[in-house]
Formats: sequence, structure tokens, C-alpha cells
Amino acid sequence: MVCVCVCVCVCVSVCQVPVAEGKSVQQTVDMLHKKLEQLGAVKQGNFWVDCETYQATGNATGQPTKLLYVMHNSETPLSSMALFEGGPGLTADANFDVLMVKLKSHFQNAKGHKVESRGTRYRYCDFLVKIGTVAMSSSARGISVEVEYCACVIPGDCWNLMKEFMQSFLGSSTPELPAVFTSKAEGLYAPVDCMDTMSQYLELFGKVRKQQVLAGSGVR
Amino acid sequence: MEAPPVTVMPVTGGTINMMEYLLQGSVLDQSMESLLHRLRGLCDNMEPESFADHELVYLLKGQQGNPFMLRARRSLLHPTAPWHLRYLGQPEVGDKSRHALVRNCVDVAASHSLPEFLNEMGFRMDHEFVAKGQVFRKGAMKVVVSKLLRVLATGNTENTEPLSLSYLVELSVLAPAGQDNVSEDMRSFAEQLKPLVHLEKIDPKRLM
Repeated sequence: MVCVCVCVCVCVSVCQVPVAEGKSVQQTVDMLHKKLEQLGAVKQGNFWVDCETYQATGNATGQPTKLLYVMHNSETPLSSMALFEGGPGLTADANFDVLMVKLKSHFQNAKGHKVESRGTRYRYCDFLVKIGTVAMSSSARGISVEVEYCACVIPGDCWNLMKEFMQSFLGSSTPELPAVFTSKAEGLYAPVDCMDTMSQYLELFGKVRKQQVLAGSGVR
Repeated sequence: MEAPPVTVMPVTGGTINMMEYLLQGSVLDQSMESLLHRLRGLCDNMEPESFADHELVYLLKGQQGNPFMLRARRSLLHPTAPWHLRYLGQPEVGDKSRHALVRNCVDVAASHSLPEFLNEMGFRMDHEFVAKGQVFRKGAMKVVVSKLLRVLATGNTENTEPLSLSYLVELSVLAPAGQDNVSEDMRSFAEQLKPLVHLEKIDPKRLM
């Protein structure tokens, strides 16, 4: 069995970038690519992150049914990450998806709810930047930007550096410190784990699901 | 720091339906040494691996049908190793002449948040036990000799007592569906362990 818990985790920030005024999703993504290339970043393949939603069936207690999210990240292709919003998370190997098929009478896959972000990976020194087009039911709904600082696992030690780097190409779209780091019991000085990245994507995908479908003109 | 480019096609862990072929038997404590001796001779030439595992059996009660069972196992000897989650399907009914119990098997490695996560999914722990013993291998076949211990206080694996005066002996193979020669190979191996231990096809329904 693949030992999936030995995660080489790094500090990651995931944020949503608004589509530029008067431009389409693709045009905005191209603008971001250009800015990164001007900085000196080098293209290094593609990436994708996806999220499937399962709904617990047959809830006898009358409580609202829990939603279970199963996410995958191309950086860890043999893993599946399962999370409950605001609840515990589980890192498992890809067989977890096979198990969810066996559990289909207890957890139904809400197929229309699948969200994914796909795009290009850029490498700039110790930073990895992934610009993704977030799509739901094959329609582009937004843009995600993931920035990884590979040299550090403690957010408190590198957030300022990451923010400065992000400002150089995101400008005013630079995000604040992700809530997932501040909400930990040990605070900013706890080492990150891969769940922190997936929680950020989950939050972003949640926002995207609630948005209206983007029109061709890029008006939100 | 050069990371290779990641392709668009996902690498999956294998969605082939794996089947577990199983034969079980038991041997009294006093006969254990002779069995271990014979296994050391018959099995692959390597030091047999000792294990001490804590297994928790979880049930999810649905609106209809039988509860869904999952087995979560962790090593007491290697506390940082991942948990092993296992689903075993209903035994395949079919060819009565097939020598081993055949059932669908899904094995998942999981992080240490597994018990909390299973509870959040709605699973409740039905029972737990500790298994200590040795694992032998012969090619694709695995022989596990274990002492099952009852956990006296929930979650406390320090305080246990043996369930019986015997050791459980299990001969198993994990193979994709449709490989009928597997149970033949298992049967001939089992023959070599007689009369020390009689490995048979057990019907789990009779134990319910």
C-alpha cells in the first residue's frame, strides 16, 4: 500500500482572482500568465484540483444532511482527501474513491456539483504558482491562484514573503492570511499539512458554486 | 527543487475489483511452535514479521438492509504508520467446488484522523480487539498466525486478555477477480500444513 501520510507539505495560499473588467476568464488567465513570465517564472506542466460532493442519505434524526467532499490534487495523484466542511478531514489513498462507490446507498454522489480547477504550473525560484480556471458542469466560473512557497512549512515564518511575492503579479487581488492557518489551536507556528491546502480550495469552490454563471462578456 | 511536470491524466491507485481468497483454521497454544517451525520451512526465506495490531470494527446503519461494515486497523508496534481501512463484501456464491472463501475486498490506507472521520460519516464502533502474531509469505500467499485479545476497557490496548487458548491461522491471497487457479494453489499449500492445522473455507454467515 502506498504510504500517503508522508506529505512533503509546504506553505500554500489559495485565492480567487476576479475576472478583469471587460475581459473573459481566458483573457484574464492569459494576462496573469504574461505577468508571471515577465517576472521570470518558467512553465512547468499542468495541474488540476477537483472536488466531488456526496450527500448522506437516510438521515433518521432529521438533522440537515451532511455533505462529504472528496478532493483530488494532481500534486498527490495517488491520494484522495475527504473533508466535511468545518469538520474532520481524512487523507487516504486513491482506493477511497472505490470505497465511496461501495457506499453509494449511504452516500450519494451529487454529480452536478463537481467543481474543478485546471491550468498551468509556473516555477519561480522557490515558489510554485498555479493559475487555474475553475469550472463547474463544463462552464468556466472563475479563476484560482495557488501560490506555494516550497522552502518553508511554517506559515508564520514565510507569510510576509509570500504576500510580497503575490503582490508583484496579483496587485490588489493579493489575499489576506488564509483563515485555515489562524484558526488552528497552535496558531501560525504549527506546521502545515495537505488538508490546509484542500480546505482553502474547498472554500474557494464553495464561493464559486454560489456565484452566478459567468456571461461571455466577463461581467460578474 | 526541480519538480517534474505533472500530467493532466490522473494516476489512479487501481480500480480493478480485488478479491480476497481466504482459508481459516486454528491451532492450540501448545502446538504453535510446531506450526511456526513448519511455516518457516515452507514459506519464503525471510524473517517472519511480527505484528501487534488494534482493530476496530465500525457499522453504519442505513434505512434498509444490513449495516455497512468497515474494519479499521492500526499497528501498535509502528504508531506513526497509516491506518488500514478494509471493506469486505459478501462471499461469492457460486462454484461450490471452489476451495476458498472469495469476497470483494477494498483496502485503503488512511491518516490518523480515521476514527473521528468515520464517526462524522455516521459509523459507530461495534467492537474492537487486539491481534498479535506473525506473518509469513509464499509468493502471493500470505499466512497470518494471530492471537486475538479482548480489549477490556474501550480504547485501552494495554489492558487485554486472550479470547481463547488458540491461535487463528489465516491463509489469504489478494487477486483480481476471475483467477480460479488461486484457490487451487491455496488448497495444495493447506495440504502441506496438515495435520498441524486444518485450513478450511469458513462460511461467515454461520458465525452471525
